[in-house]
Amino acid sequence: MHNLSALSLRKKILSKEITALEVTDYFLKRIEKYDPKIKAFLTVFKDKARVKAQEIDDKISQNLPVGKLAGIPIAIKDNMHIEGEITTCASKFLENYTAPFDSTLVRYLEEEGAIILGKTNLDEFAMGSSNEKSAFFPTRNPWDLNCTPGGSSGGSAAAVAARLVPIAFGSDTGGSIRQPAALCGTIGFKPSYGRISRYGLVAFGSSFDQIGPLANYIEDVALIMEVVGKNCNYDSTCLSLPAEGYLEHLKQDLKDLTIGVPWNFLEGVSEPILKNFKESVETAKKLGATIVDIDLNILKYSLPVYYILATAEASTNLARFDGIRYGKRSQNAKTLNEVFDKSRKEGFGDEVKKRIMLGTYVLSAGYEKALYQKAQKVRHLIISHYQKAFEKCDIVLLPTSPTPAFPLGSIQDPVEMYKQDLFTISANIAGLPAISIPSGFSEEKPLGLQLIGPQLHDTFIIGYSNAIINAFNQKFMPTEFEKESSK
Amino acid sequence: MKDLPFDLWEPIIGLEIHAQLKTKSKLFSSAPNAFGNEPNTNISIVCTGQPGALPVLNEEVVKKAVQLGIALKAKISMNSTFDRKSYFYPDSPRNFQITQFENPIIQEGIIVTDTDGITQSFEIREAHIEDDTGMLRHFSKFTGIDYNRAGVPLIEIVSTPCMHSAHDAISYATTLKAILEYLDVSDCNMEDGHLRMDVNISVRPKNEEGLRPKTEIKNVNSFSNMEIAINEEVQRQIALYTSHPNEPFETIMPQSTYRFDTVTKKLVLMRRKESADDYRYFPEPDLLPIKLTKEYIEELEQTLPELPHERFKRYKEKLELSDYDASLLINNKKLSDYFEQALECYQNPKAICNWITVEFVGRLKDKTKSVLSFNIPPKHIANLVEMIDKKIITGKIAKKIADDMICHPEIDPYDIAKENPEYQPMSDETALQQIVEEVVSENPQSIIDFHNGKDRAFGFLVGQVMKKTKGKASPEVVNKLLKKSINEKK
Repeated sequence: MHNLSALSLRKKILSKEITALEVTDYFLKRIEKYDPKIKAFLTVFKDKARVKAQEIDDKISQNLPVGKLAGIPIAIKDNMHIEGEITTCASKFLENYTAPFDSTLVRYLEEEGAIILGKTNLDEFAMGSSNEKSAFFPTRNPWDLNCTPGGSSGGSAAAVAARLVPIAFGSDTGGSIRQPAALCGTIGFKPSYGRISRYGLVAFGSSFDQIGPLANYIEDVALIMEVVGKNCNYDSTCLSLPAEGYLEHLKQDLKDLTIGVPWNFLEGVSEPILKNFKESVETAKKLGATIVDIDLNILKYSLPVYYILATAEASTNLARFDGIRYGKRSQNAKTLNEVFDKSRKEGFGDEVKKRIMLGTYVLSAGYEKALYQKAQKVRHLIISHYQKAFEKCDIVLLPTSPTPAFPLGSIQDPVEMYKQDLFTISANIAGLPAISIPSGFSEEKPLGLQLIGPQLHDTFIIGYSNAIINAFNQKFMPTEFEKESSK
Repeated sequence: MKDLPFDLWEPIIGLEIHAQLKTKSKLFSSAPNAFGNEPNTNISIVCTGQPGALPVLNEEVVKKAVQLGIALKAKISMNSTFDRKSYFYPDSPRNFQITQFENPIIQEGIIVTDTDGITQSFEIREAHIEDDTGMLRHFSKFTGIDYNRAGVPLIEIVSTPCMHSAHDAISYATTLKAILEYLDVSDCNMEDGHLRMDVNISVRPKNEEGLRPKTEIKNVNSFSNMEIAINEEVQRQIALYTSHPNEPFETIMPQSTYRFDTVTKKLVLMRRKESADDYRYFPEPDLLPIKLTKEYIEELEQTLPELPHERFKRYKEKLELSDYDASLLINNKKLSDYFEQALECYQNPKAICNWITVEFVGRLKDKTKSVLSFNIPPKHIANLVEMIDKKIITGKIAKKIADDMICHPEIDPYDIAKENPEYQPMSDETALQQIVEEVVSENPQSIIDFHNGKDRAFGFLVGQVMKKTKGKASPEVVNKLLKKSINEKK
């Protein structure tokens, strides 16, 4: 059952071939069995999920209408709210913080009958590329338990790759959906900025943050986008557009499609990644696409631009965690200023502190002009260079990650870690829809191919991904973790 | 202090006034914008800065801000934006305030004041929308935070340093308050903190170019306190410069912030600014720019209510009130509306104005209170004036009736007069004739004086008749009868 797509599960549930409760129990059992090794989940809502599944079954047995996602198990990254449940953001600061409201994402999912099985691990406040920055424990890569799943949505990617759940949601500020998707051999989609409401997502870099799905089947990404990709009155930056039809736009070939490749920008990329990428380009050609060389050298500035602007936003977004109203309050504080200082000192991990300090610095009087304002200008340049590129091509192709999955603890230099996002960050800077799809292996570790499209062309990106995925015809289910456990 | 050379110095004053906007809900959430409820009852996830909560702009606030911009004849930005202003304080739920720093909605306006019959105009630099903070409440063993006020919409109106006296500052603030009230964009209830004024003050020798370091006085909450604060600070600064003529200005007057202690009526130093505060402003990424259209502004322009200065001109030109009377009325919207309501019942603007602003004000025991506190319906004022004009009562009786109206605001003066025999004017000629005869025979000298051309003697005789009738005699009848009687005596 775990190798079925959500779409086929839905058909089987609706045709009463299996019950929603059977599906829920099946995946709950898989979580129980394999998650102790993978450690993708921070919380599992066993009882609540079973109750909801039963409700769906009751409706189906009475022939009452059910939603588009009736009985589909879903996992949510633990930086999005479910009313009455704890949202930790994998931080000690919010260890005991109960969300007072549902995120729009969760509301839309539950309105359509989805069963939320649990909440997944992440780097603290989504700041990291390996899940090692979780304040609780690192998640493991199902392909190689000694490796990281990537991050920050590593828990969601690992859960989907290990078939603990057919669909999971992550958030992507600089690549946090796509990079772990690539490292875990699943699909990860970051929609256009504003496509999915951020209401109830704990903010990191508000002008970069975007929620998106991870799944093993492109039709599942399409299905779920039809439910969650719509306007929301509680997020002013959410696009005021209704949900679009994604399933109807799935393509079988790439005829009439012009693909742009910024070859210059790929100089210096490691050999296995470049080799795999060139093979993907060849596949695209065979599917009928025209390949053109485009100039996106400006992207070499994406990392510095991102680490100035996103940290500036983060430093203020995280200012609310002060020990006054909720979350961690230091027991050692004796004065008001100590409540602020010690609660934050004790509650935040080093990576979070580093980014808050960086963001505070770039906004400080005397530096703001040289750093923040300059980075804003380069952001606009990157946007306009992409616009120019899209005059020459329909889609830009890039690798997702500069490396395959790497062993836990192997990257110590923070800048090396930041470079994990080299190819993904520009889509956040420009607000573009981008997807990572599995594109093969390097030494038995999955790799990802990234498709980036013009703003609002979400259906288009998902549609053409279908053709490439079909052509790759790749079986990408990891099995090692299952074998070990059966001993 | 009195020996200071005030004549040689010029105070420079600028005002920053925060007005709470009158809206149903808060600036960025649907929580009610209400005052006086139990702590932390008018709050939402936005006002308490919950993670994951997002601000959504209240359109009603934009409308009120644009109305104010039109009233101030200002440039209204078609594309204004919000910024984050960062500082840590427990009453600030996100530890940043959402304000308009780079592109405020209102820029470069003007305010025309009519005070004490004098018309002046002052420059507005800008006005911007921002959200209010919560309030700390100190108890004996702990401090609590009430977030009911957090997120209440404010508009901060910033003048240029264009005022030169406490009188200027009060005229400006009074008129701004009146404009906000006329537009119905703020209740301007100063006791409830709807209007909070920060005063920036510096002084310089007359004819000197440029500005010397300024002092900021925070949160002044009444016009009378503002007057005391400004005068005290101006004196202090002049005294300092006079006694240290050779030192650099920054040493004599380091930029500092004071607050006005309402109990001691003194300025209290809050802090000296060693360097500028660093609020780390940057554009608020959770909100889109406020985009306005010409049509939207034009529509608000056409539906704008009458403003204080327009009303001033109408009172002067159409109602022929004096500049002084007109300014007295228009600067107090409620009083002015009261006057208008009385005027709708009876058309004698000058007399009605006089009765409201002189006669009834004179009867106030507590001078800090308004004449409206008598709760006399405006129609009753109109009726009183009408009764005088129609000679139903004499001026003297009117004053007595006015006293009674204060005790019984619910009774119409017509009824007061009808029910009290004392208030019936004597116009019965036979009865009056008798009294006139008495007075004439009792005052032979006055008759002689009158015939010798002393007009004052006639007035004296009228007074004697009025005295005997306790003021109830109709002056016209008395005049007629008296003249007739005296001439017969010739």
